[in-house]
Amino acid sequence: MIQVQHLHKSFNGQQVLEDINLQVKKGEILIVLGESGTGKSVLLKHLIGLLKPDQGSVLIEARDITRMSERELLGLRKDIGYLFQEGALYDFMNVFENIAFPLREHTAFDWKTIREKVQSILRLIGLEGIEEKYPAELSGGMKKRVALARAIILDSRILLCDEPTSGLDPLRSRDISALIRDVARKLHCTTVVTSHDIQNSLRIADRLALLQNGRIAAVGTPSEFEASNNVFVKEFIS
Amino acid sequence: MKALIDWGMGYVARSGSAVCFLGEITGHIVRGRIRWPEVLKQMYEQGIQSVMIIVLTSLASGAVLALQGYTAMVRFGAKEYIAHLVGLSLVRELGPVFTALIFSGKAGARIAAELGTMSVNDQVLATRTMGVDPVEFLVVPRMAACFLVLPVLTIIGEIAGITGGYLIATLEAGIPGTFYINQTIKAIQYVDFWGGFAKVFFFAVIIGWICCYQGYSTKGGSLGVGRFTTKAVAFSYIFVILSNAVLTKIILTLWG
Repeated sequence: MIQVQHLHKSFNGQQVLEDINLQVKKGEILIVLGESGTGKSVLLKHLIGLLKPDQGSVLIEARDITRMSERELLGLRKDIGYLFQEGALYDFMNVFENIAFPLREHTAFDWKTIREKVQSILRLIGLEGIEEKYPAELSGGMKKRVALARAIILDSRILLCDEPTSGLDPLRSRDISALIRDVARKLHCTTVVTSHDIQNSLRIADRLALLQNGRIAAVGTPSEFEASNNVFVKEFIS
Repeated sequence: MKALIDWGMGYVARSGSAVCFLGEITGHIVRGRIRWPEVLKQMYEQGIQSVMIIVLTSLASGAVLALQGYTAMVRFGAKEYIAHLVGLSLVRELGPVFTALIFSGKAGARIAAELGTMSVNDQVLATRTMGVDPVEFLVVPRMAACFLVLPVLTIIGEIAGITGGYLIATLEAGIPGTFYINQTIKAIQYVDFWGGFAKVFFFAVIIGWICCYQGYSTKGGSLGVGRFTTKAVAFSYIFVILSNAVLTKIILTLWG
């Protein structure tokens, strides 16, 4: 479903990603772990074409998105949901308008259908009755849930989440992680999550990839990670 | 020396990027990719926000112009020409320039701050991830609204300025109201009005372009929003005043 091949990226002469090779299978949840500043978000931005690599390719269903024009990418992104670290909800729209935005842009649904879909997704994320609230009136956790709802409203086949638990307390982190897992399973989304939250990652991931200094240090299932002899993996998950 | 070269290269790159940005906006407008409901919303916000301050400052400017004119002209026994002075000054020069400067300080700053906040909060990036072109969705409506609102505000400002002059002429100089109005109508020729009014469309493009570009390019969190918004207003002021000098010369050469 998603293939990253020999990806290199540098900014102002500083190498951020070096020879990244990854494969994410259809319906799989892959969590990219790593310390802050190791290039997790940069890698995720390559998967949706927000950044172009210096070398290498990113294949989504066998189509190399690094060779696509911005207009082609805009078309492709209708099938990809992207959850930003801080939610990135439009602050001039209320919750209903934020979630309905992709539907209004990319479908011909009438107002009634849009309303039903928004209400149904709000039920799914456990936030009924907040349609009229603005992002400034929501807590950090609620913002992330609403942003997740907006990311999946078009029944995305791919879901990319950038540090979804950052800035949340342990309980909210567990809730949002579980919600991502439930949503991904329900919609059969191929999901890539970046995180440094090891406990929740071990709980929800099918596979984990650990980034160290811009390179993949280890890839494996949560049980393989827990049993790993790799010093950095052991240090990271301890 | 190296620092100077780097600064020069950076300046050229930024200017090139600003020109490409204007090209991108024009491309959307030419292809008819204009979201009219968004344009109307922006027109309402930009217009309503600026109308009161423009009316007040224009009214005061017209009054001051009439007061100064009266003081000077009464020495030559030509106080009945106050209407000519106020009307022509406002319509040919002061109205368009004053309105553009006030508009860039109010609506232009708002555009830059809004887009800047959206840039630093990833809302612009989020628009791209949802398969929507952010220039089409966020920039074109603001730019189009500038182009449509500023001419209307200029006319409102000119009427307010003439009203200010009227109040001074009738209350202070003792000129009959009907006489003042008739003199104003007689003084302002078609060419005077259009000579001043044509400049407003250029000012609208300059303000919209600079403020949208600065807002869209904002980086560096809340400090960046402040810095880029200030740059947007300062550059708008400078370019409005400079372009006014050039446009005035062109218009005077063509129309006299």
